[in-house]
Amino acid sequence: MKGKHLSIIAKKEFRGLFNERTILLAVLLQLFIALFSSFLMVGLTSMYDPSSLSKYSHYRYSVAYTGNESQLLSYLKTSPDFRVYQMDLSTAVAALGQRKLAAVIYVPDTRPDALDPIKITLYTVQNDLQSAIVDVKLKDIFLKYEQTLRQIRGGRLDVQPLPLQIPASTGGGDFYEFVYGLLIPLLVFMPAIISSALVIDLITEEYQHETLETLISTPITFPEMVWGKVLTCGLLVPIQAATWLILLMVNGISIGNPVLILLHVSVTSLILILIGTLVALHYRERTAAQFIFSTGLVVVILLALAVPSNPLNLLTKLAVGSAGTEQWLVLGVVLAIVVGLGYVTQKYAEMIAKNHKTG
Amino acid sequence: MSTLTDIATIARWEVKKSFSTMSRDILPLAIILFVLLVLVTGFTAQTGLHLQDGMYRVGVDDPQVAQLIASDARFSVYQLDASTLNSNRNAFDVIVVQGQASGHGTDRSNAALKTLSRDYGKYVNSVYNTETDLFAAYPLWIDPESVKSELSFLSTQSGQYISAAPSRAAPVPEGAVQIIPTPPPTLSISEDQIRAQLVQSNAQNTQISRYTEVLSSSSALGGFKTPSQLSPPLPFDSIILVFIFIFPLYFTSQFFMMSIMNERIERKGEILLSTPVRASSIIIGKALPYFIGMMAICAGLTLYLRVSPLIILPLIPIIFFFLANALLIGMLSRSFKELSFISIFFSTIATSYLFFPSIFANVHVISLISPLTLIVLTIQGTAWTVTDYLYSTSLFWLTGAVLFYIAAKNFKDERLFSEKPLATRVREFLSEILPPKYPFVSLFLLSGFSIPFVFMVQMMCLVLFFNLPMPYSLVFLLLFAALIEEFAKSIGIYTLFSRDAVFFTGKNLILASAATAIGFLVAEKLLLFVTIAQISDSVFGSILFLSLGSLWLPLLLHFVGVLIVAMCLKFGGKKWFAPGLTIAMVVHCMYNLYFILGWLG
Repeated sequence: MKGKHLSIIAKKEFRGLFNERTILLAVLLQLFIALFSSFLMVGLTSMYDPSSLSKYSHYRYSVAYTGNESQLLSYLKTSPDFRVYQMDLSTAVAALGQRKLAAVIYVPDTRPDALDPIKITLYTVQNDLQSAIVDVKLKDIFLKYEQTLRQIRGGRLDVQPLPLQIPASTGGGDFYEFVYGLLIPLLVFMPAIISSALVIDLITEEYQHETLETLISTPITFPEMVWGKVLTCGLLVPIQAATWLILLMVNGISIGNPVLILLHVSVTSLILILIGTLVALHYRERTAAQFIFSTGLVVVILLALAVPSNPLNLLTKLAVGSAGTEQWLVLGVVLAIVVGLGYVTQKYAEMIAKNHKTG
Repeated sequence: MSTLTDIATIARWEVKKSFSTMSRDILPLAIILFVLLVLVTGFTAQTGLHLQDGMYRVGVDDPQVAQLIASDARFSVYQLDASTLNSNRNAFDVIVVQGQASGHGTDRSNAALKTLSRDYGKYVNSVYNTETDLFAAYPLWIDPESVKSELSFLSTQSGQYISAAPSRAAPVPEGAVQIIPTPPPTLSISEDQIRAQLVQSNAQNTQISRYTEVLSSSSALGGFKTPSQLSPPLPFDSIILVFIFIFPLYFTSQFFMMSIMNERIERKGEILLSTPVRASSIIIGKALPYFIGMMAICAGLTLYLRVSPLIILPLIPIIFFFLANALLIGMLSRSFKELSFISIFFSTIATSYLFFPSIFANVHVISLISPLTLIVLTIQGTAWTVTDYLYSTSLFWLTGAVLFYIAAKNFKDERLFSEKPLATRVREFLSEILPPKYPFVSLFLLSGFSIPFVFMVQMMCLVLFFNLPMPYSLVFLLLFAALIEEFAKSIGIYTLFSRDAVFFTGKNLILASAATAIGFLVAEKLLLFVTIAQISDSVFGSILFLSLGSLWLPLLLHFVGVLIVAMCLKFGGKKWFAPGLTIAMVVHCMYNLYFILGWLG
């Protein structure tokens, strides 16, 4: 195998990609997703942690308290989020319908230490952003009241849970898990999936456009052609993954160990690319190859996720900065798989080339 | 009648062909993979997804607490004595000393605390569920009731608050007050039922239910909730729904795309085209098996998930839209890699258009622009109306139909078998539906047909920008709405210009601009009339669809916009297209600004 031949093939494929401007589409796609996910984050944060938006936090919502007196009333009155009016239920609900109130609470005549539960009725406006925010704020107050009631009724409990005091949330950190535990590993790994689909396209194209004969009649051998294409796709992975990381960082998400992340993604992606290569060499037709490959891909990824310390988990750990020396062990295992698959690919390509010559 | 026979024949061929392409050596492997898939899914459900393992480090001084925390794989737990923990507290995200957890204020530490408190809540619930006196453990129950607002809900949509001016006195409703019956003080279901429900909702595989908590908590407690269950439903159920319903559709449309592409590269299509069968029959015949297949998949999923068959209704326009796009992508792309990238690009955009709005299904009326919201609503048991259906699906029907029309017009030798760059091909495709004989009529029609696409893109911007704080969302929307409209209007002119630059004499220039402007206005009016009334009343809507107030002003605006671009093309050539667009956009923005400022002030 000659390095020069490999680079000729790789150059040809890169030129093809650039000529068709498909690479432009890929970059656009990345930008689009990055844009969307950052907007999504803002939207979700404002929905689940309304206080993160300053304009909401200074607003006192008007709520009506109806029914019987209880500890809940004083909790509401002392809360900075609410302005409480004691009203008659029917009037209050009518005012709610006209949006003069944000919520109406009805408390029945059940004693705090009664055997029955206390059932509070909460009226809010249907399908409304403000109701969702009020719900979140009221939840805290209800939880506090539930705690009080539990203490009053505490003597009736037969098992007590292990005590553990957790400080009230200080805001922030809401989407940490979503970003680092889901978004980053998926986004960074996406180039690997794209590249492995691409290698199938590159190989089946030679078969279906019947350009293979011309290519092999040059000094380039069949295995060299295959490896040239694998090289092209393999090189695209770190480029695209790096673009992701930069986009995420521009979005204000700090990522630990970017270089190590790129290293792991590049090596791991070779597994998928080589599987794609083998499938493409076997079927020589895009529909079939892509179908089998994508089904196989789901199996492989699900299986990988079921194993502790899988490469995707490693990406999460590297990004949050909690990966230890076990990463080199994982890398070793991945490398072993890559070498194994590479050997099979080489043998398979040689076999095909031999059959081609004799047949 | 013969058209129907043609379609049926082509459909039969298509089925036969795809089965022969899917040759015998695929089927065994596909079956093996499918069996493997089922096995692996089962295995993964058993072991859980190990994606977020070891994200957080926790130091604990008590073995029992350590055991409790370690049951969540997201935590790496280190058991050390209290003084070591206190002196090394920055090495951990959270330390627990004598039953008191504490973090150190970083994002990661806060996230760890939140996860810990969620886990602890689950654990406490699991203890409380076993109490003999259930109402000592759960003393407080909330019965949420929704009240239909008498005011239009659109006012709060834009972030405005409609409420009484802050005053000491309680607000007084206007008009007659309807008597609301006093709610009964007891829960209407038995203690045993409640316990069973609580146990069930708590006992799920935590790693999966992390994402699916809603699907379980929305079930049969008669609507009663404990305070901890009271929060807007998490959006993750929408994610799962999208994956379940949209992925098979996406897959199947890939096959359709490939089938079209194969006709082209193997030149088999030429034989078909030489027969007297009409192009539209060929297209419908080829698409039909895939359409039926997708419907069958959806019906199967519906049966399997035991949800109301009503959810098929919003899926039909999605399928139609997917097929139309698959057809066009299959016809446009020159190579497999181009096909791959364009289809990935398309499916990402389509998926986000479908899926992001449906996240807000329970919260916001804007979510209705995605048909998937109707599915989410159906599954939740919320009713939707025919208007809702029209509102959320009409754009899919219309754009799908326009794309099919373009494809049918271009389904012939010289288009299918050319190897020109993508942008040129798109222009040629458009040029095909602009017959040279009737340039003005076709410009009128083209700009009219571009309206559903314009609306779709603008809707997308609406969803995007509605998340931003108020002034920015307006500014962005203003710029993009103008740009999109001007771009859509100038496409026809640009196509005509690149086909025949001499055509644009002074008179023709004005006529062409007028035809485009009128077409745009008429279609905009028509479509708004049918569907978008809901959104066009809000602040955002007033920017997108500002030009509805009177007739001659918007017409003038559209005319001037097109004219600017056309003039730039005429006197500057093609390279002046982008600057022309920019100028038109600025003019459009100024017009909008004038009206919004007037309207705001």
